[in-house]
Amino acid sequence: MDDRLAAALAALPAALAAHIVLSAAALALAMLVALPLAVRAARRPRLRALALGLAGTVQTVPALALLALFYPLLLAASALTRPLGLTLPALGFLPSLLALALFAILPMLRNAVEGLIGLDPAVLEAADAVGMTRAQRLRLVELPLAAPVVMAGIRTAAVWTIGTATLATTVGQTCLGNLIFTGLQTEDWVGVLVGCLAAALLAIVVDALLALVQHGLSPLRPARLALAGGTLALGTAAALAALAPASNTTNRIGAKNFGEQFILAALIRDRLAATGAQAQIRSGLGSAVAFRALAASDIDVYVDYSGTLWTNVLARTDTPPPAVLRAQLTKALAAKPGIRVLGPLGFENAYALAMRRDRATQFGIRSIADLARAAPGLTLGADLEFLGRPEWRGIAQAYHLRFARSRAYSPTFMYRALADGSVDVISAFSSDGRIASQDLIVLADPAHAIPSYDALILISPARAHDARLAAALSPLIGRIPVERMRAANLMVDRDANKLTPDAAARWLDPAQRR
Amino acid sequence: MTAAIAFAGVHKSFAGTPVLHDLSLAIAPGSFTALVGASGSGKTTTLRLVNRLIDPDGGTVHVGGDAVDALPAPMLRRRIGYVFQGIGLFPHLTVAENIGITPRLLGWDKPRIAARIAELLGLVALPADYAPRLPAALSGGERQRVGLARALAAAPRLMLMDEPMGALDPVTRDTLGRDYQALHQSLGLTTLMVTHDIQEALLLADRIIVMSAGRIVADATPRALLAGPAPPQAAALIAVAARQSAAIAALGQSAADG
Repeated sequence: MDDRLAAALAALPAALAAHIVLSAAALALAMLVALPLAVRAARRPRLRALALGLAGTVQTVPALALLALFYPLLLAASALTRPLGLTLPALGFLPSLLALALFAILPMLRNAVEGLIGLDPAVLEAADAVGMTRAQRLRLVELPLAAPVVMAGIRTAAVWTIGTATLATTVGQTCLGNLIFTGLQTEDWVGVLVGCLAAALLAIVVDALLALVQHGLSPLRPARLALAGGTLALGTAAALAALAPASNTTNRIGAKNFGEQFILAALIRDRLAATGAQAQIRSGLGSAVAFRALAASDIDVYVDYSGTLWTNVLARTDTPPPAVLRAQLTKALAAKPGIRVLGPLGFENAYALAMRRDRATQFGIRSIADLARAAPGLTLGADLEFLGRPEWRGIAQAYHLRFARSRAYSPTFMYRALADGSVDVISAFSSDGRIASQDLIVLADPAHAIPSYDALILISPARAHDARLAAALSPLIGRIPVERMRAANLMVDRDANKLTPDAAARWLDPAQRR
Repeated sequence: MTAAIAFAGVHKSFAGTPVLHDLSLAIAPGSFTALVGASGSGKTTTLRLVNRLIDPDGGTVHVGGDAVDALPAPMLRRRIGYVFQGIGLFPHLTVAENIGITPRLLGWDKPRIAARIAELLGLVALPADYAPRLPAALSGGERQRVGLARALAAAPRLMLMDEPMGALDPVTRDTLGRDYQALHQSLGLTTLMVTHDIQEALLLADRIIVMSAGRIVADATPRALLAGPAPPQAAALIAVAARQSAAIAALGQSAADG
């Protein structure tokens, strides 16, 4: 417990600083777009209808989906701008910034337009009649009078942006969401709570400061404005300063969204730190996102599984022996897009179908072939990716599998659902410690429909020839047997006496073993 | 002598509906002219053409011998006082800041503006300690006095007034009307005032122009207008004023008799 709190608090400053910088940048960008647009839209009814309609439409897209959409959009944009010598990072800060700013525009635009068109026409007539130019009228009369309503919109946007920025974790941007998402995957509720409380507290403080700005605007109270504005600027500057040293010459390590990946990312970070290199983890990435981020050199290194790349990236449906598969994969990735497969860690984390021992015995199921007979009466629980992956189509086709129902869960809750009988079969991972601890049966694959899944260290094209990076990570190759990985996974996933991924990584590190 | 205001062959339509037909008119410097007529007669449009709150479709408007579009509209307006029924005081500015706005736009220095504000508060009979107040703290009559001071701040030679006393109670209206008439005299202003109240026009102005459906139907001194003969549209207005005055006089007589 104390260990988890300590780990969460240790991760907090960096996450908070990145969260503040991201939110502030998104709000600033949204203001730069929304406020000048509002001034024009207030004078032109047709532009007003168009702008508010567009912003309203954006608002109906779920925030998570909008973040996810910016990834392929930026990849495409980057492909267009590359001939000009400009590469856009498709992962991390830029997509998060754009998605959050796009969302923040609506409340700002709507309030600013309402504030401006709601002004007393007599006051505007007087402004013209005393001899103000358009710009003077805006500066001396319209903006000061509309300021409280405009500020109310900015406050709404700020609170909303700080909350939604936690989702930026999913596109590889460090933020308070890292604590929340990592905590959710490893059932570390202390981490989740620390992340949520920090985000809530930040939103409350920023809202209070913006309220002070609002009340300092009309009538004008310069002392209040200076106090609130100064505090906001100082906080952002402090967050920026805290981030600055970590942002250059840092190795970026990718991690997908489950415990084993968090542990391996921490292990890689520790190995790099041991050689004096800086490293930063981008966790919670989907499989496809992680791979494409590596291919685009948005991350430098991560661990993926041979079978996953074989089926998903190379689109192969055959299942050759593990060593052959690995050799072909290494060659193919080196050719295009130039990714270096440093080598296997020594364990396999295969997709497997697993059942509770009592249920399997009850139906007399030992292999997937047995399962196929009983499947029309059973429910499949899958992780969020499995049903969309070619492996599943391969298995289903090879065994003519058809379930009564299938449900998707985040991995932690999938095991829960199997334990409480909500589902009968799950898409498990062979290195998962819970297979042993929950006494599950892994079903045999007599038709060899599932390829091998050796865990491989992959290095991005940009760093493929970086000898220092390779030297730092080479000691891990072949040094992590499946028993140890399973034990480390269980340390993070179990309910009692839970460890953090960082602590499990230290336990797993071959260099720490005598 | 150059006319303070000169209209020549001015046309104006709104959304295809003509509101002014071939208007030609000269206003002499130092005169106090009232534009009267029913709603929609074109009197407010005529007034707003002078400081270019409206631009004509055809014809020309000159102020002090210069075409109104010779300068950008804001420059023209800083030289013309404008007072209207809506008053339009800036609610976020103090009384002093409201009065000082046109001098500020003209780039006067601060001491000169401060001195001018103090002078104007006296001129429109407002206490000096009103300067730091916000408009919301004033009565309707006081607000229109601030509006008048604001219009006079940059010492314009020409004042445009659109129903300036329209929203005030009769006593305030009478006092403010007579106070303004005195200012008009003492400052040597040229005043063009729109009103639908013929009595107000008769009592304040030295020239009355009656408009109907976008045309001038009568143009005379109050005395000449009362003496008649007047065209039908003007006669009806004057008859109302005369009948009301007679009725009130008769009522006063009978009260004194009784």
